[in-house]
This record gives sequence, structure tokens and C-alpha cells, in this order.
Amino acid sequence: MKIVGIVGSNAEVSYNRQLLKFIKNHFHSLFELDLVEIKDVPMFNQSNDQTYSEPVQRIHRKITNADGVIIATPEHNYTVPAALKSLIEWLSYKIHSLENKPVMIVGASYFNQGTSRAQVHLRQILNAPGVNGIVMPGNEFLLGNAKEAFDENGNLKDQGTVEFLKSCLEKFIRFINVVSVLEDKPAALLEDLHATGTIETTVEGVDMYAEDWLEQAAEKVNAVEGNTYVKLDRGLLTVDQINDFLRSMPMELTFVDSNNQFLYYNRTLPAEEMLASRTPGQVGNPLAKCHPEKVHKSVEWVIQQLRSGKTDSVRVHVPTHGPDKFVVHTYKAMYDQDGNYAGVNEYVLDLKPVIDWYLQQTGQKLVGNPDAVSGASVKGSSEGADTVSGASVKA
Amino acid sequence: MVKIIGLVGSNSDHSTNRMLLQFMQRHFADQAKINLLEIKDLPVFNKPEDKKIPEEVQIMAEKIEAADGVVISTPEYDHSVPAALLNALHWLSYGIHPFVDKPVMITGASYGRLGTSRAQAHLRQVLEAPELKARVMPGSGFLLSYSLQAFDEGNNLKDREEVKKLEKMFTDFLSFVEICKQLNKAYAMNKKEVENFS
Ligand SMILES: Cc1cc2nc3c(=O)[nH]c(=O)nc-3n(C[C@H](O)[C@H](O)[C@@H](O)COP(=O)(O)O)c2cc1C
Ligand SMILES: Cc1cc2nc3c(=O)[nH]c(=O)nc-3n(C[C@H](O)[C@H](O)[C@H](O)COP(=O)(O)O)c2cc1C
Repeated sequence: MKIVGIVGSNAEVSYNRQLLKFIKNHFHSLFELDLVEIKDVPMFNQSNDQTYSEPVQRIHRKITNADGVIIATPEHNYTVPAALKSLIEWLSYKIHSLENKPVMIVGASYFNQGTSRAQVHLRQILNAPGVNGIVMPGNEFLLGNAKEAFDENGNLKDQGTVEFLKSCLEKFIRFINVVSVLEDKPAALLEDLHATGTIETTVEGVDMYAEDWLEQAAEKVNAVEGNTYVKLDRGLLTVDQINDFLRSMPMELTFVDSNNQFLYYNRTLPAEEMLASRTPGQVGNPLAKCHPEKVHKSVEWVIQQLRSGKTDSVRVHVPTHGPDKFVVHTYKAMYDQDGNYAGVNEYVLDLKPVIDWYLQQTGQKLVGNPDAVSGASVKGSSEGADTVSGASVKA
Repeated sequence: MVKIIGLVGSNSDHSTNRMLLQFMQRHFADQAKINLLEIKDLPVFNKPEDKKIPEEVQIMAEKIEAADGVVISTPEYDHSVPAALLNALHWLSYGIHPFVDKPVMITGASYGRLGTSRAQAHLRQVLEAPELKARVMPGSGFLLSYSLQAFDEGNNLKDREEVKKLEKMFTDFLSFVEICKQLNKAYAMNKKEVENFS
């Protein structure tokens, strides 16, 4: 289970940060906690939209991909600190990162009542329509007198407090599971590998199955080419330069959009010499056309993992190339500026030359593992990837 | 004449809360001298160890100290007070305490139907915190709902009923300011307590 822990304080020394660090270390068997800092987040301002700034987007993405969020809030003037409120405002203005996300509130402050008022406000804020988090009811974890609460190793001193914290966290995990049922996500959403839908970037009116889809579609949208400049994040290149650059990548790259349409590959070699062959006429095809029927289930599974945010990459090793190649296919989720799923970047490469070179440089050796079992690789989409056993190697 | 500070609770360029305060400034010109204070462009409060306050905050604090009362007009973001206003209040309670015993009237304008009622309830609690300790006028504050449609081309409040309500509340506020002046026995003590708080 992946949880994001938001440090609600931007102070250099923070007991709320310390509390989350303690949770991360002490309860690592319960979940993986990824700490998020808010100090680079600009002050919310309706007239200066920074929704798409790096600090806001980074946090947005992490929350989107997490199963739940723990917010550790200080209390300033009986309410949440401005810096934390500012983050929530960004996350509820143009984007809605916390929508339907299970949230648990904890808090540390210097005084006895330890953030009880701030927690009540935070709960109301998270329930506001633009935010719409699902806050775990009850179970306030308040750490008063925070200055005295930790020992020199950053651990909570009081055993009773640790026990109570543990029971709150365990409840939170159950809460996350209940919420996922409530949210009524169909267990196995089917992927439309035939790309029958459209997304904003879909070029309509051109046959996706056509051999010359690229030529037709390019004409239709007046695509630029050759020495026309394109402004990128961050840089300025001509289309020719982009092509040279992508062709020089030491791997085979494939772009499939969120509609499951195969839009691009970096044509470095003829199809028969590629690790995962692609032909020029395939560009534009729906994924269903690129893979034989028998692997469609696997393809769907991989895309579901990525689209649902369960993981942002799926790897498959493909031993069919023989012992002289270490071929790995990585299916990496792409996200747009809003953090929405934008498709798959599949990159395929043979790691062997790099590993060989590295071993030579460092004098290390690969040792065969006698216990290696048939490593029928997981649900990969690459044809044949699931047919052979692979002797695993150990460094 | 009574000196009132109108604290604009929004950092937006086109703020209906600012418009409301500007309207009050003109409308009540013969009853009080209202000066507006902006919270725009203050750095994000981060509890600096050295307790150094930005100069613009220092100037704000002096103006508030010197005023007889403060009208705070707050937007509502996510059912609460906007971060930018909280930020100003953090700074204005960090080693300095211009709000102690200061009479405060709360107003608020929002685009929705409830016109900041929830933000005002939070703001009221915030102003009672130990390091602000303002004297917020009892009763409910002035709520301006559907604020984008509330002003005419001359930037005056369109609804006569609303104007009447505002007039009554502001007159009450001026009386409240007078009454508070008599509640001055504990001021020195309160100020001291706050300074020793953290
Ligand atoms: C402006 C200001 C106001 C504060 N108001 C409160 C308060 O109302 N209640 C409280 O328990 N602590 C209050 N404190 C102290 C906080 O508990 C403490 O600073 C808190 O931020 C500790 O969390 P941190 O170490 O994670 O930053 C206040 C601190 C500041 C700087
Ligand atoms: C992040 C955000 C959250 C908002 N949440 C609320 C809300 O909870 N209730 C409401 O009435 N209006 C809400 N609004 C709209 C506000 O009414 C409006 O932006 C503001 O109050 C107008 O004040 P101003 O014109 O002085 O800037 C929200 C606006 C933003 C940008």
C-alpha cells in the first residue's frame, strides 16, 4: 500500500515532519510512506495561476498515485498554517487531487491541546466540495507537548502513544479498503484495445488501420516537419533535430496514447532487426491490431495497472533472444500536465552491453544461480514473453 | 474622526471583498475614516527562527495599532479562510501583537449563495487565538453572496436592503468601538500575557 505523508509545516525544524518520519520508519511493515514537503509551494493566488508549476504538480502526481494521504498539521492561531491551506487551495482550484482520496489527519503542536482545533478546521476544509477528500472519521491523533515527545533518535518516547498511533494507522488501512469498495470501481475495467473512443488529440476521419495513416493524418492536421522549430519543455529544436535525437536513443521507443492508439516509434532499424519489431505501416493502429489475440488479456492487464495508477511502470524480461542479450521491456505510464494518464511509453533495450562494460570496469562478475526456476515472465504484452524460462543472473 | 482599517482578505487582482471595503469607505465617509490594507505580496510565513518580521508586515502592524478598529473582509476558499489572509494573520501575531483587544468587524463576499458564512465562523475563532486576541463584534458578520453580481457600474452595492443592513451593522460597530474603549483596564495585562505566550 502506498501512502503520501504531507508535512503540514514549512518550518526548518518541524515536529510534524518528525512525527511522519517516525511513522514511516516505525510502521514500514504496514505501508510505504512517501513524505511530501510544502515549502516550495507558492502562496495561492487566483490572479496568478500556478497550478501547473513544478512543486504543485509533483505533489498532485504523488497524491494521484497513492492509495491514501496522511496530513500532519501544526496549529497556528487555532487553525491550519497558511502554507498548508495554500497547498490545499491549489489542489482544489483547477485540479482536484484529493477527490475521493482517503485522508487521515494527525498533528503535533507545542501545547497541551495539540492541534485539536486545527484538525477540526482541516476536516471541514477537506470536506468542502472542491476538495472532496474522504476523511477518516473519529481517531484524532493529537501529539501535544511535541517538544518533549521524541527521544534523541527521533522516536516517540511514550509506549502508550505509540500503541495508540498504531491502532489509528491500522484503522486507516481498513478505511482505505472500505473506501475502495464504496467507490465502486469495477474490479476489472476492460481496456478498449480497439481504440473506438476518441481523446482530444485523436485525429478523426482517418482510417486507423490504413498503411499510410501517418501521411493522411499529418496532412489532415497540417503537421509540421523538416526544419520547422518546435518549442519544448525545455528547449527549442527543429522536427529534424527531434528525430535525430530520438533515433539516437539507445533503445526502442514506442508511444501509445491513452486511447490505446499506437502513434509513434523511433525507427532506428528495419523491423526484422529490432528487439520488438515494428513496421512503418503499424503507426496509427489500435493496439488490438499490433498484438495477436492471445496476448490481448496481458496487454489489457498491463495498461490497467498503469491507467489505474497502481504502478507507474511494468517490466518484463524477454529471454527469447538467447543468452547473449538481456532484453527488458518497460511499460512506463505517461502523465499530462494535470497528472492525468496520457498513455504508455514502452522502451525496449538490451542491457547486456552496458552490464558487460560495467563488470569489466569494476572487476565484478555475474554468477549463475543454481536455484533459478523457470522465470516465466509476468503478464507481459510482448508476444512470447510469457513462454520461456529465464535463468536469472546474480551479481 | 474614528480611524478604521479595512483589511482586504483577498490577494486577487479583481477582488469583490476589496470592492466591498471600497464601497464602505465611500459610503461611510462622514462617519469614519477607513483606510484599506492589502495582504498581497507578503512572503509565505515559515516561522523563521530569528523571529524577523518583513518590513511591510511591521508597517501593517503599526497602522493596525494606531486604528480604533479593523474591518476584515474575507473571501471563502474551501469552506474556510483563504491561505493568504491566514498568512497575514500569522505574521501579525509572530512576536508582535497589534490585534490584542482591537475591535474587529467581519465582513465577507463570495461568489456562492452562502456568502462566506463558514469562512467567517473560522475567522472568528482564529481572531480569538491567544496571540491575536482581538475583540470581534458579537453577532453575525455581514455576508455578501453572489458577489460577482452584487455591484453596479459605479461599483456601488445594488441591493438597497443589503445596504441598509450594512449601515446598521457598521453603526453598531462604531458603538462597539466606543464600548471597547471603556474596557481598557485589563489591556496592559492582556498584552503582557500574549507576549509571554510562546
Ligand atoms: C503564529 C503562530 C501561532 C500559533 N498558534 C498556536 C495555536 O493556536 N495553538 C497551538 O497549539 N500552537 C500554536 N502555535 C505553536 C505551534 O504549535 C507550533 O509552532 C507548531 O507549528 C509546531 O509544529 P511544527 O514543529 O511541525 O512546525 C503557534 C505558532 C505560531 C508561529
Ligand atoms: C480554491 C477556491 C476555493 C473556493 N471555495 C469556495 C467555497 O468554499 N465557498 C464559496 O462560497 N466560494 C468559494 N470559492 C469562490 C469564492 O467565493 C471567491 O473566489 C472569493 O470568495 C471571492 O472573493 P474576492 O472577489 O474578494 O477574491 C472558492 C474559490 C477558490 C479559488
